[in-house]
Amino acid sequence: MTSYVAGIDIGSTMTKVVILKDGLITSIIGPTGPEQRRLANKVMEEALKKASLPFSEIMYIVSTGYGRMNVPFSDRQITEITCHARGVNYLIPEARTIIDIGGQDSKGIKIDRSGKVLDFVMNDKCAAGSGRFIEVIADTLGISLKDVGELSLQSRNPAKISNICTIWAQQEVAASLAQGVKISDLLAGVHFSLAERIGRMVSRLKIEKAIVVTGGGGRNKGLLHALSEVLGERLTVPEEPLITGALGAALIAREIVEESKKNRIDLKTKERRLEEVEIL
Amino acid sequence: MTEQQKEAKPKKRMTATRAAASIGPMVKSFITETLQARAEGKQKLAYTFIVCHHEEILRAMDVIPIWTENFAGVCGAKRDAERFLQRAESLGLSRSLCTYALCGIGFDQWREELGEMPPDSPWGGMARPDFMISSGQILCDPRSKWYQASQQFMPDVPIYNIDLPYPLFQRDQDHREVWGYYHKYIVKQLRGLVAFVEEQTKKKMDYDRLRELVDLSDRTWNLIDETYRLRKAVPCPMGTGDAMNTMVPICFMMATQKAYDFFVELKKELEEKIAKGEGEVENEKYRLMWGGGLPAWYALNDFNYFNSKGASFPVETTYRMVLPLYEMDIPETKDPIEHLAWRWLGYWTFWYDKARKRPDSEPDVERLINWIEEYKIDGIVMHEAFSCRTWHVGLIWQLHQLGKIYKPIPLYVIGKDGKREIVMKELPSLILESDIIDITSYSEVDTRNKIDAFIETLESYRVNRAY
Repeated sequence: MTSYVAGIDIGSTMTKVVILKDGLITSIIGPTGPEQRRLANKVMEEALKKASLPFSEIMYIVSTGYGRMNVPFSDRQITEITCHARGVNYLIPEARTIIDIGGQDSKGIKIDRSGKVLDFVMNDKCAAGSGRFIEVIADTLGISLKDVGELSLQSRNPAKISNICTIWAQQEVAASLAQGVKISDLLAGVHFSLAERIGRMVSRLKIEKAIVVTGGGGRNKGLLHALSEVLGERLTVPEEPLITGALGAALIAREIVEESKKNRIDLKTKERRLEEVEIL
Repeated sequence: MTEQQKEAKPKKRMTATRAAASIGPMVKSFITETLQARAEGKQKLAYTFIVCHHEEILRAMDVIPIWTENFAGVCGAKRDAERFLQRAESLGLSRSLCTYALCGIGFDQWREELGEMPPDSPWGGMARPDFMISSGQILCDPRSKWYQASQQFMPDVPIYNIDLPYPLFQRDQDHREVWGYYHKYIVKQLRGLVAFVEEQTKKKMDYDRLRELVDLSDRTWNLIDETYRLRKAVPCPMGTGDAMNTMVPICFMMATQKAYDFFVELKKELEEKIAKGEGEVENEKYRLMWGGGLPAWYALNDFNYFNSKGASFPVETTYRMVLPLYEMDIPETKDPIEHLAWRWLGYWTFWYDKARKRPDSEPDVERLINWIEEYKIDGIVMHEAFSCRTWHVGLIWQLHQLGKIYKPIPLYVIGKDGKREIVMKELPSLILESDIIDITSYSEVDTRNKIDAFIETLESYRVNRAY
């Protein structure tokens, strides 16, 4: 009989949990921080509740993301690069390039047809290459983050954002707003600025189709439009672009369980107890 | 920056060899010797740079070299460069310039302002020189500008600039057609250096002694090559982490008996380790090449982190500043200055013939290919140090070129129909990003996250390798 397994992806801003059996049982997304930094276990608790499962039923748990090393109930830690690759391959088998746009970093991942990582690049040094850039600008413009994508698509004349630093760009946007530049044009300009940075980074990988966008950036239609223009390619987005890392982690957990059953090896697992999760 | 504001001291890096472990005290001792010499005033001291093929001239004239890049590296490794970098910034110099140079310029300004060493200077500090020998070579432009900037604070200290060019690689032209011109020019540059040092020291060059020192260096070059080739053994007895220590006698102690003796001992140690089957890593799973870029001196522990994942580094392109002389096609000469010039040209054109024979290859790429094969390499790691344009420009291009012309690795993948198929993949590579000594550019968490992901990729290649 197939066992329940779980993947937990602790990103810098969101925590995602996926529970699998034969297929997807449940998935949950909740905030990681900053004020909820120590509450990531609540997301696991919620996922278990939604699936009506006691924690003890989860045979194996793989954690991923920046906080993966600090999940006390995780049986194995795998990087988000490998997990995104596996998750995307499961959902979109024709995917060969993944662009993951997260809250604090962005990544490009080249994969083969079996979901194995061939190469990757990361921007982890500069907010201007991540979702944080959009958050800061949305905040400056006094707009809800969920509205920025739609609003930017109304632009007829995207503004040129010349500063590549988030802080300077924030000032540039505020100054342009004062000069009467339309909010939609500013947002479109901001999306193009971010898309160009991400495009330059992933072009190191010799991009192959199909290109899949994951992470919070995958939910932003304005950014997807800009990125598609910059790359000159059609982009594919999974139905829920935030969970591909957790899904990949859960798929790897399932493989580990199946392998152990096949080889009749006892799996070493951690105690199934929810504790506060400390983020690095 | 005050003492309290200094970065936390790095954890001590574990070395695989006794020889590498002995390097720290050795560097401390030669820095202390320069300070003693300054106090005694009997010998002249010269600021200078590595890889100029001029150590023999300096040592034959009893000039003590002060390796300014080395001192900056020491500040970086001790996580104590920031206060000197900030000094240089306060002089109006941008952080995006070479941080070795910034560190040295900031230190010089501070020392000259105080009239003594800045407080708690790493290993006692860098002594004031009697003269400076800069080097306007193709390799690195800060080498000709750094000392000009430092001279603002030491206007009484003269500079001699040696220019050491070499013919650039051209696919359709044999470099030997033009290297005679280069040779004449370099000889003139080196003879000019001799004249300058004679003037500064009020001594005449002893050419017999120079010949002996050149011979000693040549023997050391060949010995180093023989020693490093031992690292081809599986498991590898010494990795790049250790080689970042053993570069010290190569780069800072050439033309000394100590450097020669060091490699005699290291060779013996590696032979013993190979005989016992001892590797740098207990269970070697992956063999990696450090394919370019200066290291992040404050983060050498990252090599231990690689080791903890079963990864060993049998070879590196960085600081392998010697090549076997017996494999160089350079003319014989009894004149030691002429020989130094030929050795310079022989070193920089070493891979040209091989690169010319392989379509679309280039000397740097050819070196990668040769060492991938000789050292049985599974993956390449490079470091882009943002402040070092010389090294980091071209690294990604080298990887792209390598991917184009080097044979791919056959791997099994599961096809859509569930059947195993063989596909061909490029050698995996990882590019780390930070700086040589500017620790503000480095994140241990992010770096190790990248290393983890790279190791997972290597493991996938290892498990799925078809043949």
